[in-house]
Amino acid sequence: MASINETHGPQSPTGTFTIHYFATASQYTAKNTERLPAPLQLSELFSLLEERYPGIKTKILTSCGISVESEYVDVEEDATRVIQAGDEVAIIPPVSSG
Amino acid sequence: MTSEQSSLPAHLDPTTYPRTSHDPAQNIHLTLTYSPLDANTYLAHTSSPEAGANILFVGTTRDTFEGRAVSQLSYTCYPPLAMKTLTAIAEDAIRTHDLKGVSIAHRMGVVPIGEASITIAVSAGHRGAAWRAGEEVLEACKEKAEIWKREEFVDGGKEWRANADRDAEGKLVEGER
Repeated sequence: MASINETHGPQSPTGTFTIHYFATASQYTAKNTERLPAPLQLSELFSLLEERYPGIKTKILTSCGISVESEYVDVEEDATRVIQAGDEVAIIPPVSSG
Repeated sequence: MTSEQSSLPAHLDPTTYPRTSHDPAQNIHLTLTYSPLDANTYLAHTSSPEAGANILFVGTTRDTFEGRAVSQLSYTCYPPLAMKTLTAIAEDAIRTHDLKGVSIAHRMGVVPIGEASITIAVSAGHRGAAWRAGEEVLEACKEKAEIWKREEFVDGGKEWRANADRDAEGKLVEGER
């Protein structure tokens, strides 16, 4: 299998998690990646992003998948999950390979 | 504001590619690469003495979108999820169609017009299964693989695409919005 080891990035300051933005999400935030304060309850992720990027929730996030540590999560069903320091989160907009 | 975005994340750094995965037991080959795709390489992955039918699909970049001239296309991906998704698609196709091998390769970064952005190779004992599997694997990739295409237009605009908006004939899919 592929040996991919990039989970914790080159430097991983304590007290933060990494969040990656793709496609329309990276366009909206004008960033590919950043670090945000951890721990953070998953249910608070969207409001934190909305605070930083007004309008992102309805324009982008509602049509996106969210992954934590390479597993998809459901912001409603997994609302009580806590994003830990060092975790890797990704915002996954509708895909377009091919 | 922070000054952390200066370093490129590994998944956007071409020097961390190609990302490959090979499962010899099921004969699955997966490739994400910034280099041109050589279709013969991927066809060779799946051919074998027990396979009488070998299907190769080559998807190439098109120079227009709805009549608007496209100057170039580029792709990005999230390998931790894309590799998982492609593995699941390949394993599912092997189970369903009793395939002898599956190879999926996708090019990243800028893909000049007319060059291959994706290749799918499947092999099976007989042609029926191979034809069906080839189409299924491609459609599943388009629907699920964590890869994104951005079209840059001759008029200067840039737009991220979403495959869910189009069917296999390129026709607009009417959503419920």
